[in-house]
Amino acid sequence: MLKSTYFSMARLIFAAGMWLLTAIAFAQNQVSGTVKSAEGSPIPGTNIVVKGTTIGTTSGADGTYSITLRQNNATLVFSSIGFQSKEVSVGNNSTINVMLVEDVSNLQEVVVTGLASSIKRSNLANAVGTLSAKELMGTTQIQTVDNAFYGKLPGVNMNTNGGAPGGGVSIQLRGISSLVGASQPLYIIDGVYANNGVNRSGRASVTGAGAETQDDASNRISDLNPNDIETVEVLKGPSAAAIYGTRANAGVIIITTKRGSAGKTKVSFAQDYGFATPQRLFGVDNWTEAKINTFFAAARRPIELERFRAANGQTWDYEKYFYGNTAPLSNTRLGISGGNDKTKFFISGALTDEKGIVRRTGFKRYSLRANIDHKLTNDITLSVGSNYINTNSDRGFTGNQNNSGASIGYNIAYVPNYYNLFPDESGRYPDNPYFSENPIAVTDRGINNTNVNRFIQSFNLTANLYKSEKSLLKLVGQGGLDYTQGTTFVYLPEDLQFQRAQGNPGDVIWGKTENVNTNFQTALVYNWNIGKVNLTSQAGAVRLNFREDRLLNRSRGLAGGQTNLRQGTVQEIFDQRFQTITDVGAFVQQEANWDDKIIATAGVRWDKSTLIGDADKFWAFPKASLAINIANFDFVRSSSLSSVFSQIKPRVAYGQTAGVPAFGTTFTPLNSANIGGLLGSVVTTAAGNAAIEPERAGELEFGLDLGLFNNRIQLEATYYDKQTRSNIQNLQLSPAVGISTIPTNLAQLQNRGVELSLGGTIAQKEKFRWSSRVLWWKNDILLTKLGIPAYNSGAFGVTLGTFLYQEGFSPTTIVGTRPARDANDTPAAEGVRTGAYILGNNQPDFQMSWSNEINFFKNFDFNMLWHWKKGGDNINLTEFLWDGGGTSPDWDEDDNGDGVPNGRQRGLAPHNGADRWVQDATYLRLREAALYYTVPTTSLNKWSNNKISRVRVGFSCQNPLTFSKYRGYDPETSTFGLQAVASGVDIAPYPTQRRFFGHLVVEF
Amino acid sequence: MKKIHLYTPIFAGLLLMMSSCNFFSLDTPNDPNNPSLGSVSQNASRTQVQNLVTGLESRHRDYLFTVTMLYGTMGRELWYLNASDPRWQTDWLGMNGRQATANMFGYLNTYQQPYFAIRQALTVIDAVNNTNTFTTEEKNAVSGFAKTLMAYQYLIVAMGQYENGIRIDVKDIQNPGPFLPLAESLTQIKRILDEGNTELGGAGTGNFPLRLTSGFTGNGFGTIASLRQLNRAIAARLAVYRQDWQGGLDAVAASFYSATGSLEAGPAHTFGAPPDTFNPLFFVKNANVSTMMVVHPSVLRDTIAGDARVRAKFFRRTAPVSVTSDGTPLAGLYQDNRFALNTSEVKFFRNEELVLIAAEANAQLNRTTEAVAAINRIRTAAGIGNYAGATTKEALIDEILFQRRYSLWAEPWGHRWVDLRRYNRLNAANVDVSIDRGTIFRQLARPQAEINWDEYVKTR
Repeated sequence: MLKSTYFSMARLIFAAGMWLLTAIAFAQNQVSGTVKSAEGSPIPGTNIVVKGTTIGTTSGADGTYSITLRQNNATLVFSSIGFQSKEVSVGNNSTINVMLVEDVSNLQEVVVTGLASSIKRSNLANAVGTLSAKELMGTTQIQTVDNAFYGKLPGVNMNTNGGAPGGGVSIQLRGISSLVGASQPLYIIDGVYANNGVNRSGRASVTGAGAETQDDASNRISDLNPNDIETVEVLKGPSAAAIYGTRANAGVIIITTKRGSAGKTKVSFAQDYGFATPQRLFGVDNWTEAKINTFFAAARRPIELERFRAANGQTWDYEKYFYGNTAPLSNTRLGISGGNDKTKFFISGALTDEKGIVRRTGFKRYSLRANIDHKLTNDITLSVGSNYINTNSDRGFTGNQNNSGASIGYNIAYVPNYYNLFPDESGRYPDNPYFSENPIAVTDRGINNTNVNRFIQSFNLTANLYKSEKSLLKLVGQGGLDYTQGTTFVYLPEDLQFQRAQGNPGDVIWGKTENVNTNFQTALVYNWNIGKVNLTSQAGAVRLNFREDRLLNRSRGLAGGQTNLRQGTVQEIFDQRFQTITDVGAFVQQEANWDDKIIATAGVRWDKSTLIGDADKFWAFPKASLAINIANFDFVRSSSLSSVFSQIKPRVAYGQTAGVPAFGTTFTPLNSANIGGLLGSVVTTAAGNAAIEPERAGELEFGLDLGLFNNRIQLEATYYDKQTRSNIQNLQLSPAVGISTIPTNLAQLQNRGVELSLGGTIAQKEKFRWSSRVLWWKNDILLTKLGIPAYNSGAFGVTLGTFLYQEGFSPTTIVGTRPARDANDTPAAEGVRTGAYILGNNQPDFQMSWSNEINFFKNFDFNMLWHWKKGGDNINLTEFLWDGGGTSPDWDEDDNGDGVPNGRQRGLAPHNGADRWVQDATYLRLREAALYYTVPTTSLNKWSNNKISRVRVGFSCQNPLTFSKYRGYDPETSTFGLQAVASGVDIAPYPTQRRFFGHLVVEF
Repeated sequence: MKKIHLYTPIFAGLLLMMSSCNFFSLDTPNDPNNPSLGSVSQNASRTQVQNLVTGLESRHRDYLFTVTMLYGTMGRELWYLNASDPRWQTDWLGMNGRQATANMFGYLNTYQQPYFAIRQALTVIDAVNNTNTFTTEEKNAVSGFAKTLMAYQYLIVAMGQYENGIRIDVKDIQNPGPFLPLAESLTQIKRILDEGNTELGGAGTGNFPLRLTSGFTGNGFGTIASLRQLNRAIAARLAVYRQDWQGGLDAVAASFYSATGSLEAGPAHTFGAPPDTFNPLFFVKNANVSTMMVVHPSVLRDTIAGDARVRAKFFRRTAPVSVTSDGTPLAGLYQDNRFALNTSEVKFFRNEELVLIAAEANAQLNRTTEAVAAINRIRTAAGIGNYAGATTKEALIDEILFQRRYSLWAEPWGHRWVDLRRYNRLNAANVDVSIDRGTIFRQLARPQAEINWDEYVKTR
């Protein structure tokens, strides 16, 4: 360890010495020119490199460049994102003007794969998913970044907590890598390890829903303004993400924000107005006297009949009242970018103000960003990015609850529509005789607010330490901090029905959570050439710190209308938790590129973390990959194949990563328990394991990329086999020993899958351009080893459907009770050892999406994205609740005509199993669609006197159409937030929405 | 040379970072939030043992809610109506043919919570024996107290599992002992209780050496002698369960039994506002909610007119709490009237039970006079006059079971269910399931996690 430090020092000193020697000059030859597009407009920022060397420059704002050559017979390579690269032999010319052709493929884009290096997509050995700003947000305005990934990346499975404003999305890349915790991908924003945690709000305690996972709080990546993003790269598995080591098991999402470019200062203003409506309402059944007599107990019938008759045919559709509203949406953005050769800047400000469809809910985001790049010298570049964000979400009261009635959907399930819950003229809310709370009062007067102030600062320093004609040694220092301060506020006033029934009416929880992530990384990158082989060597070190500090206080028995904690009778420290985590790592990587024909990479990352039992032990994560561009070999180029195939690239990659145990896994604590004024120490029920190891995954990925007809058609096919071992599982001890669980590293998981992408330009005429892409993916999970007794876990137990953890099954298998079909029909006969029947599986059979970009009459753009998820079952407990209350829309119908209503006769007779609630959640959805019109430049110039450079108007929508037989609000719903397993549990969620927008963009 | 000045700070910074602050070295962290279990295993301080003993008091009360509700439901002393989750009705009452299976809804707490308390007691005993900060007498006091509560907790599990038997040897968390048959389980519980009695006997006199809550001290159980009496009271309960009638009488005699004193006398689980826990059995009277423990209609139906216990314990609501599950509507018009506040304590053993144990043991031993005297002590207190029925053993037992039903209604034990089973009367004549159309359960299933564990042990 010390040795490696001294080794790096030696390299640094050596490098510094070498730099001093570069004063020696060679014969020089100046070449200059202009780079233009086919339309004749200059292309700024084009990279111009002398082939086989590290000598290069970039074109200026007017497309001009100038480069000094030190050799004869040089070839210049011109490349710019969005254009096909071009090689030009210099010969004796001193002026070379170049025209670049627009590239319909994305093969020239640069993908960041190493920690300090990048690679052209055409040379990539992994199926790295990338999304440009256009793909991410170019069609419609989406509230949060993660929500904008839907259907755009193969190998991704997503679920939403529900439709509450402010996000809450779970992303699983290539299946499930961990059986515990959230297992969400690592987000890195401009090199900063971003906080994607969930702040506990305590809502689940106030409403009685249960544990923290039912708070329905959103994951904090939702703070980020999606419009600031230039590109998103998704490293889906260990083979691509190995260099990120212990935190990469669930994949890595690398976000790069927009930066300025040299040239005229551009000002861009955009305004969107829109509205949201629920995707679907569940529907409410009407009542008749006959139904009342069926549903209610004899003793209860008279009063119900009296209420029914008193209503005199009037009904109140509570579902429509709560969910059927139209929510106004507004987004305002201002961006200013520009700069000169030395300094470039991008400044943006954005205001998002989106209301929810439920009254008094909504999401507001204020974001300010300044990204500055400055060249200190020709060889030293400093880039900084500063982002301040304030988000304010009011998410209301939905989802699970117990006893309190403080969930709209749960509550109204029990209220027949002939009963009036609305306040009288004096504003008094009637008590709800059907449940313990009046949901109108909760919605009008309850508060569930989260306010986050966040500051993300990144820096990147690149210094060319040594430069020769054929080699370049760079130092890359990178780091930053992510500071998040969140305040949560959950409040139910003292005069609500349920509160009045409490010993201390009125309940408020104030929470403060502070997260500070800091990271620092330094690397030396040496680029050199041996003959036609370009080599990139890098070595570096990383140190990460994550600190969380949270304190939640609760006060009950509140003074009238008061929310200050001190205005309560019973004041309580509800939760306090400190958490400090440090990781360190070192890495080396070697890339070799033989003339863009064969590209090989190998590397190792070593990591330590204080989350691991032995905090001072290094874990090694090797990787290796190989890509062969067959089409670049002369035997293909010179053959007739070259007229068809522009790219033939078989590729293979292998890598390892890990997942760290959750904080506290190593501790066996004595918890505090206060009783009778004394402090007690009680033995934990969840023991720790001081020898816990990280969960490790190895993934082999191979694939074939084909480019046909000058890359007009591109096919990417990938197969992966991801094996995780040392998966953490809590060994459930005999419950008689008084400690419930001990974490073990015994489980092993297998995820195998296929990802296909077929894209192409269907038409490319001046007045009609149409490019289209089809993605298809599937993943199969298998628990290959459990190492502990098979068990059921997740959701609400076997009687309502839960999940099976048993070797040879997928942990997405839904099991539960159901009536036996005959004597031989037992769980054991299905191979299940936990006493429950197999009822379904949350894992989809496959998913598919189809995206289209159509440009017609030059100035019109039409985009649409379809998404089809085939298979995958949900546990629909919303229907369970509504059936229980007699309110499901078909409750009183009688499909089989036997006189027993549907609401009491679902599933197998005698209709008491969990099989009733497990339902296929297949869907076909139009994710996004948009039509834009760009005002022609000529008329614009005439009209605005050249002051306005671009005006674009359009309409767009998100999720406007869904075709599904699933009976809940949304087949994508998942109550248990970010949990890796136990997805697809639907329990009275905040309905998701379809969103419609009108857009205006003006650029100066 | 100018450029070199720019590199100098970069290099200096790097070198500083890499070499000075042990860039690559990490220390194993300590838990910033809690002390560790390991910290009390050797040389625990007095304060640490005090905290463990208070922790034991806390664990000792954790069974309260689920055992009261579930065992009370089994004997149809009460219904726990809960509209938020129909399984409190459908599964607990055995509606629509549902059985008490290994995966039955919400019953695991009645099994797990007692064992959490037993684990805590074992930890207390270990800690106090592996430290020098206590005298031998003090060690005996702490260990004897822990064993007394341990026995009480074992008995809760045994009452739920009944003929499944229970595990007694649970010291080694990775190697728990076998399930012992019911009779053997009860014998082992007696052994633990007797050990505790012996230790308390060697614990000197005066107050218990560590602080106990007002649940003990406020009810006269702050001394070694009184804790020993509590130990014997539990022994008396166990003795009648084992049909050791004379043993029962002996234990009653050594307990805090008082033929003339308050029937309420006895230790309690204490509750309070946070950071303490509210009394989970407390419900605001007449609260307009859909979650409520209500008195089972059959209990109200069978009362004797003028019974003071009925007036004291049951509160008539202005409107019933009603819940419909699986098409079966249940309504409760009476709620629990025993607790004035959400901080009221809950007695876990009362003199009233000791009087009834004395009555039962005497009746079983055909000491009719003593039996009737004890019965009359109860009847007088309830204001229903002296016993005038037959004095055959059977008639007396009938009477005693009837009195137990009202004297011990909804105490955190499920006396009605346990008593009916002891006398083989768990049938429709005694357990009215006509309204809820449920099932009479004789015992709970061995939890799935236990089945899993035994499977696991075979293969590990």
